[in-house]
Amino acid sequence: MKTGVSVFPALVLLVMTSSLARADAAAGQAVFESNGCQSCHYTQGPATEKTIADQLAKKGPELWYAGSKFQRPWLETWLVDPQPIRPMKFNSVMEPNPGGHAVLSADQVGPVADYLMSLRSDIVQDGAVKVKKKNLKGKLIFIKKMPCSGCHQFPTKKKFSGGLSGPSLIGAGKRLNPDWVLAYLREPKVFKPVKMMPVFVGVLSDKDMKNVAAHVATFK
Amino acid sequence: MTRLFLTTLLIVALSPAFTGAAQAADGEALFGFYCAQCHGTGGEGDGPNVTGDFPVDPRNFTETAEMEKISDADIRNVIIDGGPIADKSPMMPPWGKTLTNAEVEALVGYLRQLCNCTGKTS
Repeated sequence: MKTGVSVFPALVLLVMTSSLARADAAAGQAVFESNGCQSCHYTQGPATEKTIADQLAKKGPELWYAGSKFQRPWLETWLVDPQPIRPMKFNSVMEPNPGGHAVLSADQVGPVADYLMSLRSDIVQDGAVKVKKKNLKGKLIFIKKMPCSGCHQFPTKKKFSGGLSGPSLIGAGKRLNPDWVLAYLREPKVFKPVKMMPVFVGVLSDKDMKNVAAHVATFK
Repeated sequence: MTRLFLTTLLIVALSPAFTGAAQAADGEALFGFYCAQCHGTGGEGDGPNVTGDFPVDPRNFTETAEMEKISDADIRNVIIDGGPIADKSPMMPPWGKTLTNAEVEALVGYLRQLCNCTGKTS
């Protein structure tokens, strides 16, 4: 009986918290849509692009798995001060990214972050990547064995290095969920069926993919 | 009548002009999407990834004399397995898990257009 009494308030609290989160996500979706964000970012998965033309028709990155991909503190900071992530304009290999992404007001950020973080992919396994201060195997693959650094900027002792056609990975340790990076390497076509980055399934082992994801998580 | 139509369709579909045009169109689109990142939109080896940090010079496909030295099979192998298969840099990725065989062939055809050459026979 005593246990029942203590469990009941906890259950009520759990239900209330869950309802509040849903309410905030719903409010965030309303803000997202009233700002016209969905005109560039689709939020309903699964991905439907089948051809290069489909991919090139998109105006911005898909967000239907944003809650699995991003880290919330980074997302909240970025939404009020959005800086280019990809050095080149979306879908372009020649035009630099001009910036100028829409900015959210301070009161819009919380609900929109709630909404975006509610958009999740089932194939991302929480805790699949063990992040440590260093991952030398992942570093070796990233810089030497595979061409990752050819397309992605990354931090170095000097400042940064790397190519410009892929999203920059400077600060990726705070931006990306390492478990999503692993899921993306394992099943890239689930997230981006047509993309400029090569498929590494069958090229890298699962262990190598985990090491790369763990190395990317060290990027400041 | 139907037989005549199908025969005509088959002849047109198999004619070099028809297949060449279809291949060129696909090859150009594929090149612009996948290869131009490093090789440049004109294939001159000057894509946006070729910054001062880039450790190698991506191949310039418009250099006819250099492209004549390699066969279609050489090109195909490097596209599929990446630079290391030809003792070249791993900066050239293996695209074999990304592209279909038809797409690889379309790219080989497009590179031959860029170099305006046929390459050595392997």
